[in-house]
Amino acid sequence: MIDKAEAEEVLGVTGLRLKFPGEPNLQFKDLSFSVKKGQKVLLLGPSGCGKSTLLQVLCGIIPTSIEVPMQSESLRLPSSWGMVFQDPDTQFGMPFVDEELAFVMENQCVPREEMEARMKRVLAEVGLQLGDLHTPIHSMSQGMKQRLALAAVLLLEPDVLLLDEPSALLDPEGTVQIWDAIHQIGANRTLLIVEHKLDHVLELIDRVVMFDDQGQIIADGAPEMLFREEKSRLIEYGIWYPGVWDEYVASSRYRNLMDEDDMYAIAQRHDDAAPLVELRNFQGKRGKESRILIQHAEIRSGEWIALLGENGAGKSTLLLSLMQLLKTEGIYRLQGKDVQLRRGEVLSDQMAFVFQNPELQFVTNSVQEELGLSIGLNKSDAATAAEDPRVCEMLRHIQLESERNRHPYQLSMGQKRRLSVATALIHQRPLLLLDEPTFGLDARSTFAMLEMIEQWRQRGMAIVMVTHDRWIAEHFATRIWRIEQGHGVDTAITTRTERKMVVNV
Amino acid sequence: MNNWFSPKRVTWMHRVNPAIKFLVFIGLFIIILFTHRLDFILYQFLGYAALLFLSSGYTLRKLMLMTLPFIFIFVSSSMTMILFGKGETLWWSWGLFRITEESFFRGIHIGFKTLSCAATGLLFALTTRPTLLFYAMMQQLRLPPKYAYAFMASFRMLPMLWEELQIRQQALAVRGVRSAHSIRGWKERLLNYAVPLLAQSIRRAQRVAVAMESKRFAAQSSTATRTYYYKTSVTSRDGFFLVIILVMVAVAFVASHEIPLFNVGDVRG
Repeated sequence: MIDKAEAEEVLGVTGLRLKFPGEPNLQFKDLSFSVKKGQKVLLLGPSGCGKSTLLQVLCGIIPTSIEVPMQSESLRLPSSWGMVFQDPDTQFGMPFVDEELAFVMENQCVPREEMEARMKRVLAEVGLQLGDLHTPIHSMSQGMKQRLALAAVLLLEPDVLLLDEPSALLDPEGTVQIWDAIHQIGANRTLLIVEHKLDHVLELIDRVVMFDDQGQIIADGAPEMLFREEKSRLIEYGIWYPGVWDEYVASSRYRNLMDEDDMYAIAQRHDDAAPLVELRNFQGKRGKESRILIQHAEIRSGEWIALLGENGAGKSTLLLSLMQLLKTEGIYRLQGKDVQLRRGEVLSDQMAFVFQNPELQFVTNSVQEELGLSIGLNKSDAATAAEDPRVCEMLRHIQLESERNRHPYQLSMGQKRRLSVATALIHQRPLLLLDEPTFGLDARSTFAMLEMIEQWRQRGMAIVMVTHDRWIAEHFATRIWRIEQGHGVDTAITTRTERKMVVNV
Repeated sequence: MNNWFSPKRVTWMHRVNPAIKFLVFIGLFIIILFTHRLDFILYQFLGYAALLFLSSGYTLRKLMLMTLPFIFIFVSSSMTMILFGKGETLWWSWGLFRITEESFFRGIHIGFKTLSCAATGLLFALTTRPTLLFYAMMQQLRLPPKYAYAFMASFRMLPMLWEELQIRQQALAVRGVRSAHSIRGWKERLLNYAVPLLAQSIRRAQRVAVAMESKRFAAQSSTATRTYYYKTSVTSRDGFFLVIILVMVAVAFVASHEIPLFNVGDVRG
């Protein structure tokens, strides 16, 4: 082990002042921060506190690549560094694995003859086994792409590795893999990590630095002590610390919500009717190819169905098929009636759909118009939307009252997600289809989102939701549909339903 | 779908230096542009078509499918000239339409010009990998890397843009947004697609640029010191290619004088 007291400082800044153009306040005001050789540092804080910005300042991306006005008393940049970014889809400039890795080496003028051997070495280091180096990047899973990004960074032979939420947009499997890879290669390096999901990070780090929403450092120390003393802040900032789900499920907030649930009443209200949705030999197609086959399945009012399955198993395809956005075959009954649509029609008046990327489904120029449009108001009718009681109630519900006149694109990620779900909830269709609505959100926003959906489910709405998160499936969904490679629904009841049954018996 | 556009066999045409090929094909375009004799352009077209069918390495079935639209572009590009062109020797007229001998020949001349461009363009596209083209342009033509990599990075984004376009289409259907079939409706539709897709693309381009620079890509770097994963060089094969093209154009030129099929001289009159 390196003696930290004596180890030299590898990067640092004193008296940093930085302001984003157009923002009223300084992002950093006289911030000082430094890291010693070999330290593994985790930066924590609420979203928007400037952790990622600080990473970019500390390696010189700001102001070299991104021009932001800043000044500092002293700035020490690391002699060699590499950065892995959050989004797997925007890290690569080339279409193939070998070409991308070659790009990094070309920049450093590595002789061509050495390139292949180096590629194989770094791919092995991050645990990527590819039969062929000339593999198209778009054919890889998100988790593999992140490991490729890490491999590319290793070609820079960095002493300092900067990781900007490398697992935020990965499923649980990909998350484990990227952190395993980082663990493998991190031993002799200085690590600077920004991350919200702490499950696999804790064993890696020896120092935690915590920021408040003003961009000030409020705590700095060993992880164990800091997590014990600052637990309330972890919750406040929505950090996914280990055990956060256990605590949430044991909390009175969750208990109360679940106690309000009366499945019996919902079932009785809808009992005489046919199931809300009935599927027999139902096939969803992309082009001519059948991508999902459901032998037999039913959805009843008040059910919350979690769609689980591997990437590419056909979960999203099933949602799109239910919405009739794809061509389908087989029997599909809604409330006992066969679904028959003319060309180009979708079922938008019987069910609501929330896409994963909220921005792609916003249509208007303000938050309230967005909600107004969903209940049939004219697109440009802002004044009417502002007065409509349903819009006002929903705005209060999703805590966007003060943002009601802002453009949807100007909201934070959590707010955008809330708004996109709200536009689907507000017109009260009997069925709501959601494609990973909590993906990439922090813990606080995730719980808020799930509670909001649960309240509507308790009023009798049926929910079908794609998720990768076992915890959500077990503690919010009432039933699980497991999709395996394009066919089969293997249904299972969830922990929540089991507990309910025990209570009722 | 992507596999559809991979050739059945790799021919010598694929192995020609892409930068040389690019320059030669630009040259061919200029020749086509300044050809004013019907017989010459006809023989040229036959040569280009032969080259396309013999050296592209694609199966006959795929080539037939890809050249099927040629009939349409031939008819559409020649028709306007045939029907409305000026001329002395009247063959047929009906209302506004006036077909004269001169306009007829001028029309099919335009048609063959278009076909020649299409055949050479298709041949180039089918036998050249974009990545290799830009590598060759950097190495043989000293194209600054910042332009080459800008193009290559944007190629990678095209499929993402296409995917987002489809999602946007579905999202608009789900939100019940329908635009009227009027000029205002068209404008509305354009904005409905352009704004979100542009916002996504600009952000993505910015992120990719930062990621590329963080991998030590310096926009100001010169071609001199840079190393290349794909080494492209000029070989005797490129000389062979150049000779073939020159011979082909020369044969077409001689044939148009010795064995003319139409013998109408300069179509410009």
